[in-house]
Amino acid sequence: MARLTLDSVTKRFDDVVAVDGVSVDIEDGEFLVLVGPSGCGKSTTLRMIAGLESISEGDIRLGQTSLSGKRPKERDIAMVFQSYALYPHMTVRENMSFGLEESTDLDDDTIRQKVEDAASMLDIDDLLGRKPDELSGGQQQRVALGRAIVRDPEVFLMDEPLSNLDAKLRAQMRTELQRIQENLDTTTVYVTHDQTEAMTMGDRIAILDGGHLQQVGTPLEVYHKPANRFVAGFIGEPSMNFFEMEVQGDRLVGDDFAYPLSEESRAAVEGSSHVTLGIRPEDVEVVEEGDGRHEFETVVDVVEPMGNENNVYLAFSPEREHSFVATVGGMRSVESGQPVVARFPESAIHLFDAETGAALKNRSLDELESSEPRL
Amino acid sequence: MFDAFFRALGRSRETRETESHSDDVRTDGGVADPAMAGEAEASSSSVLDSEFVQSLPFWGPPALLVGLFVYGAVAWNVLISLTDWSGLGQPEYENFDLSVYSQMLNDLLDPTSNFFVATRNTVALLVAFTVITLLLGLLLAILVDQGVRFENTFRTIYLLPMSLSFVVTAIFWSWMYNPSIGLINETLRTVGLGAFTQAWLSNPQFKLGAVIFALMWQFSGYAMIVYLAGLQAIPNEQYEAARTDGASTFRMYRRVVVPQLRSSTTSAAVVLMVFALKAFDFLFVMFGPNPGPSTDILSVMMFREAFMSTNWAYGSGIATVLFLMALGVIAPYLYRQYQRGEL
Amino acid sequence: MSSNSGSWSESVNLRRVSVYGVLVVMVAFYLAPLETGLMTAFKTQNAFFSTTPFAPPPADGVTVQPWAAALDRLGPGVVNSLLFAVPATMLSALFGSMAAYGMTNLNWKYQVGVLSLFVAGVFIPYQSVLVPLTRFWSMVDVASLLAFIPPLADRAGLIELGVTHAAYGIPICTVLFRGYYLSLDDEMLEAARLDGASPARIYRKIVLPLSKPMFAVTLIYQFTNIWNDLLFALVLVSDPSNAPVTIALNTLKGSMVQQYNVQMAGAFIAALPTLVIYVLFGEQFAKGVAGET
Repeated sequence: MARLTLDSVTKRFDDVVAVDGVSVDIEDGEFLVLVGPSGCGKSTTLRMIAGLESISEGDIRLGQTSLSGKRPKERDIAMVFQSYALYPHMTVRENMSFGLEESTDLDDDTIRQKVEDAASMLDIDDLLGRKPDELSGGQQQRVALGRAIVRDPEVFLMDEPLSNLDAKLRAQMRTELQRIQENLDTTTVYVTHDQTEAMTMGDRIAILDGGHLQQVGTPLEVYHKPANRFVAGFIGEPSMNFFEMEVQGDRLVGDDFAYPLSEESRAAVEGSSHVTLGIRPEDVEVVEEGDGRHEFETVVDVVEPMGNENNVYLAFSPEREHSFVATVGGMRSVESGQPVVARFPESAIHLFDAETGAALKNRSLDELESSEPRL
Repeated sequence: MFDAFFRALGRSRETRETESHSDDVRTDGGVADPAMAGEAEASSSSVLDSEFVQSLPFWGPPALLVGLFVYGAVAWNVLISLTDWSGLGQPEYENFDLSVYSQMLNDLLDPTSNFFVATRNTVALLVAFTVITLLLGLLLAILVDQGVRFENTFRTIYLLPMSLSFVVTAIFWSWMYNPSIGLINETLRTVGLGAFTQAWLSNPQFKLGAVIFALMWQFSGYAMIVYLAGLQAIPNEQYEAARTDGASTFRMYRRVVVPQLRSSTTSAAVVLMVFALKAFDFLFVMFGPNPGPSTDILSVMMFREAFMSTNWAYGSGIATVLFLMALGVIAPYLYRQYQRGEL
Repeated sequence: MSSNSGSWSESVNLRRVSVYGVLVVMVAFYLAPLETGLMTAFKTQNAFFSTTPFAPPPADGVTVQPWAAALDRLGPGVVNSLLFAVPATMLSALFGSMAAYGMTNLNWKYQVGVLSLFVAGVFIPYQSVLVPLTRFWSMVDVASLLAFIPPLADRAGLIELGVTHAAYGIPICTVLFRGYYLSLDDEMLEAARLDGASPARIYRKIVLPLSKPMFAVTLIYQFTNIWNDLLFALVLVSDPSNAPVTIALNTLKGSMVQQYNVQMAGAFIAALPTLVIYVLFGEQFAKGVAGET
């Protein structure tokens, strides 16, 4: 019933196309994360759903009804803003009641009951009599959530709601938000620039860049089967390593190394003269020595210890500025300047067309269940 | 797990296909399907319309009042200046001509005419008053900004005259300038400068200067407030950097601080110049409707011509000249504000 | 080394002392006319002719008679000024707030154009509207329009003056409120829209309650402006019984040329409301003054 459909939605500001033909279906109760770098059109998309921006072309439907032309108040949508946007002169209770008073005919008792229910769900019962400036950032965040929840809307829209919190609180709220969304089972569109939030929170992720939808998929899907080089580089931390290669028969030749291809990979790059080879840091195997087809001699440039693991920056030779990252276990001792051998297993590499960026070959999924996404 | 994964993959491919399809529609849609584009335009402009309609009750009534009383009146005033209305009768809105303005042009060529004298004095007042008020205001702002104690008290005292009516300050300054027992001359005599005592308000040589000095007293607090805001917008690091570079205090202000106060100077100067054009109350209370050739200014002359001599058309003509002068001061300022997006 | 730092701190001290010195001299400069006026107002005719203007009155020359005389002349003027200045101030502040909201927090085409006219309105010399204004109020004859309510009809001049001042106060009030409304959180107003509030409800429930500090600034600044004005009153008020305090004071000055003590007492009585407001709310007044640019 509350299936939200974006149908070729386009937004133009004068000559600038901010959102370009974006189409997504969001299932009832689904948690969709819109993610992308700043200026990619994700907030504009959200504001079009909310009715705060008009739609230049295309349509947005909730169930069977078109939302375009409807005012925000007629859309049965609640939104949580980055700045929380609480009304500073009202108490928490008044902040939460305001929407119900303005958009429904409920009597005062019902409103009070609904506000108190929502407040207890968010554990802010004690704060109902306070004003926003008497609350901590985390508490304000909860009130902002409460203001949306109490409306019991068909759709929640969230515009970077956690970005003003410190790192620890953000992680905590992330879990809590997911719990609440699961309990309420309300269709949610969540905008963030933080790929960690996207990966951990979303049922599905929609990645936007330059106003274009790059890919929609589950977190694992976009992680392991990126549709193009942009998605591959955007999702995952540290980012995927990329190498520009030339296709020469059954080999890829780059500035630093040549990579022999299997028959299957060769078929995938058929028709491309230049490709980008991508490999995730955790798929780079660091070994003491070796002479396999996909093993390359490198020198350790910098080691970033993260505790549970080390990010090792490797260079093909000490003179080369270009280095790439490999993630190795935290207990393993690697030192700067140490020569090591890096193995790029062919099952783990991604190949992208150098011109269009489109994925030609993604990693094989045989080991999928054993390899957890790294964030 | 795998099933679900590939199902999802399939769906995402589907989505991608829809998207690329819609891209096609979009690229030639503007040409091939103008009806759809037109529809989208219409719906977005109806949203604009409703915002316009909803905003109307808020700015409409004030705009009506401003339009009627300010701009309507300005236009009406120009119209009256084109008639030959004078005396006690009604204006006749026919036979418009520019006789009022040609008379002014003629007067401008005659250095003894009232209009010439008033124009000269107005320009002199505008320039001298603006310059010295800005200078004193800047000095006060710099002094108050030195992190002194009681900063607020000093500021409050310097701004105090701005809260007084010109009628009140004119009375105070008439008393200050009294030639025999006024404070100015008394002070001069006390410090042994008795030779410099003057009949400030009757000696044509000093009259205008005395007025400008008193107006500076009243307005320099305003200039100080504007400059203080400008000074406080300059980051502390810049002062420290200039000090580290070894600049003396004077050089630091001249080379680093004052150049950054340009926009404060512009906006304060606009307000002061426009005030100088409309300055009336102070001179009228001090000297009455006929201050004499040394202090007559256009705004007083306008009042005298229209409301004392009932030369309504001529008075309106002077008023139009004042309006155009004010426009000449504010139009470039507003245009610049508009360009910088600060309107 | 130590002598160096000694001379350095000495020069800093010298600098501080001269800064304070100039500041105090300037205090004397700004307060001298007021202090002189206040002393003079308590002196008898003989005393102020024979003493230094800023000196306190001599024992045999103290009197409050000038105050009584001035109050007698200015009392009705003070009442008249209050009668039109208070409503006119409130009207222009309210209209200014509404106009600023309609042109800042709601978006429509050409609003920059309309706004420019408001801003330019701040600077238009009163002289360029005086003649039409008298024509207008002689055509819209408030006295005969309100003839059925005699108390109001008698006050027609004040009503005209109040309406005129309210209209001419709108531009500056709009500019002051606009500066404030620009700083309101856009997301907060959008949240209210999504909460289902209409622009009118948002103004009433969100913007207006948040405007209290700006209303203080605007009311104080605008009241001072209207109270202090002479020119409009000069051309609009013909009946002396309706004369506001500025006119009454000017008349007093003309009729008591040599009685400086009465003139000074009168000046203080006319300035009293604005002085009290200034002393109590100087901060808000300064904001109003600064907001004009």
